[in-house]
Amino acid sequence: MNVLVSFKVVPDLDLLSGNDWTVDGNCQVETRFVKKMINPYDESALELALKLADQAGNAGFSIDLSALTIADSGSDLTLKSLRALGYRQAIRIAEEDDLRFAPEKVAALITAYARQRDDFNLIFMGRQSGVGDNAKTPLITAELLGWPCITQVTGVTMISQHTLQVSAISDQGLVTRTIKPPCLLAVGNAPFSYLRVPTLRAIKEQAEQPIDVITRSDLKNTLSSLPYNPGINLIKLEPISRKRNSVIIEGSNTAEKAEKLYQQYLKGWLTEL
Amino acid sequence: MALTREAIVTALVDIVDPDQVVTDEAVLKESSIDRFRRFEELHGVYTQPLPAAVVYVRSTSDVVKVLQFANKHGINIVPRTGHTATEGGLETVVENSLVVDGSAMNKVIKIDPVNMQATCQCGTPLLVLEDQLRELGYTTGHSPQSKPLAQLGGLVATRSIGQFSTLYGGIEEMVVGLEAVFPNGQITRIKNVPRRAAGPDIRHIIIGNEGALCYITEITVKIFKFMPENNILLGYTLENMKTGFEILREVMVNGYRPSVARLYDEEDGAYHFSHFANNRCVLIFMAEGPKGIAEATAAAIEEIVTRFPECEKVDTRYIKTWFDHLNWDATDIAQERAEIVETKNIGNTTEISANWEIINQIYETCTERMRNEIPDMTIIGGHSSHSYINGTNLYFVHYYNVVDCKPEEEITKYHWPIKKIIVEETIKAGGSMCHHHGVGKHRTPWIKDEHGSSYYILETLKKAFDPQGIMNRGTIYPKS
Repeated sequence: MNVLVSFKVVPDLDLLSGNDWTVDGNCQVETRFVKKMINPYDESALELALKLADQAGNAGFSIDLSALTIADSGSDLTLKSLRALGYRQAIRIAEEDDLRFAPEKVAALITAYARQRDDFNLIFMGRQSGVGDNAKTPLITAELLGWPCITQVTGVTMISQHTLQVSAISDQGLVTRTIKPPCLLAVGNAPFSYLRVPTLRAIKEQAEQPIDVITRSDLKNTLSSLPYNPGINLIKLEPISRKRNSVIIEGSNTAEKAEKLYQQYLKGWLTEL
Repeated sequence: MALTREAIVTALVDIVDPDQVVTDEAVLKESSIDRFRRFEELHGVYTQPLPAAVVYVRSTSDVVKVLQFANKHGINIVPRTGHTATEGGLETVVENSLVVDGSAMNKVIKIDPVNMQATCQCGTPLLVLEDQLRELGYTTGHSPQSKPLAQLGGLVATRSIGQFSTLYGGIEEMVVGLEAVFPNGQITRIKNVPRRAAGPDIRHIIIGNEGALCYITEITVKIFKFMPENNILLGYTLENMKTGFEILREVMVNGYRPSVARLYDEEDGAYHFSHFANNRCVLIFMAEGPKGIAEATAAAIEEIVTRFPECEKVDTRYIKTWFDHLNWDATDIAQERAEIVETKNIGNTTEISANWEIINQIYETCTERMRNEIPDMTIIGGHSSHSYINGTNLYFVHYYNVVDCKPEEEITKYHWPIKKIIVEETIKAGGSMCHHHGVGKHRTPWIKDEHGSSYYILETLKKAFDPQGIMNRGTIYPKS
């Protein structure tokens, strides 16, 4: 089975305080100054694919893993780390277009790459990203590929060489389905999915191997048949105020404060429940 | 004859209020260790003898009564406040120990802006004291990474140090006076004066004793005017650590006192500064204090760094965002625990100090040996974060995947062999094996090598102040 996982390296927006939230003339939020990380949903997707490969290996099957990102060279270290973890191919699509709020473009590029390879059975991706928070890319990609898509995936188990069990959160709760690929899995809040860490030795072995870098023109044969929708034209960005009213409970000691909290707030709420 | 657990607890509830004595098994388990054994703990494995009880003392009088009882019956005492120790100092290695927790002694007793000092009980969280001081326009100048969690008693007991130490000094330079209780119940108060020449400085018998000599109950520290508006951050990337050490030395020997002077190697830099380090070492300074001094210090540092062409200046906003999130709070620790359980990847640190002429050699030898001798390593890095006129410290950072071993074997397979390399190479070169975490229980095999002939003084202190050997056995002094 051949598995593709698409991911994105994003700024850790938790490190961006309100005072540091500045927007330039091109509607770009200034995030250069904060640390980068793999988008958490994508991190889960990458780890779930590795776990699936582990299961396959234990059962005597083989799963070939590829990791794909659309980014500049700043993501190359992450790609090398992923190779050190067992991703046989690490591919970067170098794209200069602004891809924020343009899930149609992202989906088209991923689909074009998948079609060009033409051997993937399964695609994992995170359900959404914190930057250009569309939550649409997995759905559009699945539609372009003509594949089924399962959203809010939390776990994947190998049943047989060609059959998987996929757990996903739905409005009715946790739903487990048995599927036969091809399928696109949009990973949500998956427990136990922190990405494992490559050893220095494994990283060193991969250090000299160049990353596979391709451009839109390399994908022209498969991209040309796809709609390349420019997405939303950004006019203005403003932070959403999430401030809430607060009350400081005064008291001479913790017990007194706890009593006030219970009597004045919790008791009423609990009664309503 | 030694008292049984039951007899110890029965006696204790007569000595203090019964609700001060906790014997809940879960509490005893987590009280048998500190962060050194967190991999075992995260897997529900507890290898140390469980203490008989945790006693939450509320006053110096409580401490006196508990210590006198323990001294009479030969019961091992493990003093504790914030529970953030990293070197096994809080492990209960003796059967039926008593963990004496001072976190309920948490009053800020007096803030004295005239004499520029603040007095508080041992369980006062540093963050609480610091917040109160800052509201008044002052600071302790002490800012260890554990600031959101650590309490004054433990910080003093381990000779801790903070991120602004190059200007303000370590805790030993901040402490003015102390109150402590010795195992025989003797309360000693060391008065708060600017300086004196009335015999040896006896504060230093208490500061750094790690609970192996006495129980610290009250601390008075210096305070400083807080002037963050004058802070100037400077950041650079550079090719190698050797150059970085040379720059740090130039800054220090020419008499400049930045509050922050930190040098990260490539791997540690990649961990902290993935947004700009780009496989280079990172050098950070902060100048603070009165405006003129801060500006002059920053200008001098810039001039010094300019003499080293391999240094590239970076936008200080890269540094500021990182610095604002450097401290660890309970949320960070909870996330770290979840990550360790899931990935089996754990990181620890070992901090040493050495003079300028040997520091780079120690850095290179230790990192090379770890790379060659320890399996499954994922990060081997380090940084210097506290500099002096004659040398600096090195904070080795070592992460590894725990592979093919039981949780209780993690220490012997990875952590201890790493520590052994760093400690042995440091002592061999002439440095000190402990810069600011204390000896704990896991560096005691080398304590005699560390002190050489001066171990006589250390040994005599134990014999004099704790003749029954009830104070935190196995800490600083080898258990045997």
